[in-house]
Amino acid sequence: MVIAGYSETLVEFKSGRSAYDFAGEAFAGLLASTGVEKSVVDGLSVTVPLSECANPFFAVYMTEALGLSPTWLNYGGMGGCSATGGVARAMTAIREGQCEVAVVLSADAPSTNWAANYGAFRGEFQDPVGVLSPPAAFGLLMSRYEHQYGLNYEALAKISIAQRQGGLVNDNAFVKLKKQLTVEDYMNSRMIADPLRLLDCVMFCDGGNAFLVTSAAKAKELGIEKTVRPTAYAEVTNFKGADPVADITETGFSVLAPKVFAKSGLGPKDINSFHPYDDFTIAVMMQLEDFGFCAKGQGSDYVMATDLGRHGDLPLNTGGGQLSAGQPGLASGGLNLAEAVRQMFGEAGERQIAKTQNALVTGIGVIPYARNWGTSTAMILEAS
Amino acid sequence: MPKDQEQVKPRPTPRANKYVATDRFWQGTEDRELLLQYCPDTKQYQHYPRPVSIYTGKRNLEWRKVAGTGTIYAATIVRVPGPGMDGRLPLSVVTVELDEGVRILGNVLNAAPETVAIGQRVELAWDAISNDIAYPAFNLVEA
Repeated sequence: MVIAGYSETLVEFKSGRSAYDFAGEAFAGLLASTGVEKSVVDGLSVTVPLSECANPFFAVYMTEALGLSPTWLNYGGMGGCSATGGVARAMTAIREGQCEVAVVLSADAPSTNWAANYGAFRGEFQDPVGVLSPPAAFGLLMSRYEHQYGLNYEALAKISIAQRQGGLVNDNAFVKLKKQLTVEDYMNSRMIADPLRLLDCVMFCDGGNAFLVTSAAKAKELGIEKTVRPTAYAEVTNFKGADPVADITETGFSVLAPKVFAKSGLGPKDINSFHPYDDFTIAVMMQLEDFGFCAKGQGSDYVMATDLGRHGDLPLNTGGGQLSAGQPGLASGGLNLAEAVRQMFGEAGERQIAKTQNALVTGIGVIPYARNWGTSTAMILEAS
Repeated sequence: MPKDQEQVKPRPTPRANKYVATDRFWQGTEDRELLLQYCPDTKQYQHYPRPVSIYTGKRNLEWRKVAGTGTIYAATIVRVPGPGMDGRLPLSVVTVELDEGVRILGNVLNAAPETVAIGQRVELAWDAISNDIAYPAFNLVEA
């Protein structure tokens, strides 16, 4: 099973465009870059977007928008895990014979149109307290991490700065984020939810991305030369959900890491580039720990001692990640996946890394009540 | 910076029973008592309220009064505006681990946000959302 193509739109702010329009652009771009005819596509995975989620039939509307008649349709509601999760589900569907050539499509335009209403318990038990948005929840998480392990803010600045070097040479990155960043800029950025600063956070934008998933044999038959193999995938939702006093610094990744490493036969030292979901800098640091690049609680020291640049020890989110390219709403999960595939295809231009035998990509989805995050996904890609 | 009084919009009114039956929680607030869901099968509390026990999956749930005392588990200061935040910024937001072994989000009312820290003991306090509604919050217990 392979990812046989990727496509990505520009990340824009208040574009005035819809998720359908970004999806169409990503879809057309995918067909163009792979040379695949639309009629060959018989599977579709669509990510639930913030901008259109008031329509429960968005995925079906999308098939009409794109002129597709898929024999397998998936509608992924795991937020930033929907792209990696969509690829994994497409692989299963193909193995089951439900479809042969699937497109995993994520597009969203929440900076243009916010349609989400989380409802549920929030109006009674979360909103009155003032935990209205992800930064408040991550401020709490970060405070607990700092309490248990200590936190060097300079290390978080270094994560932002390392990723910014990729964003500066990423043609798809949101244009206003394309400026150099210093430790001073980071330290001086305003507090949003202490100890979380503005430059710890992503900026909500619009955009889309798409991936072609099929069998290696079918890709060959279609004349596609560049492919990567997802050789390991694992996910968990509501990790420790029935433990009312769980350690919130312990995340779902702590159980995913051993699984994907065992499945692929790789270990943290073998990983050529790391593309962790980066809604907040602290999430990147916690994943460096959970995947064993360093011990739990040693994230600050590890980051300070490690070159995370594209020619460094561990190339990190080499396209800038969401922190420096902008977060295209819930198409977010495809942004770092696209960069990993692009690097492994040798198409990253100025920011091309040398080692592309594999890459580790993750997803984070949904902010729960007083915990860390809802869904975690991890996927290892290996060269075909 | 606090906004002028005339610009302050009233806080949104939470409505009971939107998600699951929560009348007992809201009745409790009228008597200045904090009532949380309790699973008698496992003798554990859960919060926020759920449609089943998260421990057993059964609907055998009760509402029980908790003391409202606990220890701050996580602490932040929210500095960004939003609905219901007018005149409240900067706002101390904490996760409290109650002595009954369950966590709850809340605001600390009796201290400057910068002085609120993990590990401090708190006790139940009441925050006036409107003239009619008091919402559970916390005060630092003086050591």
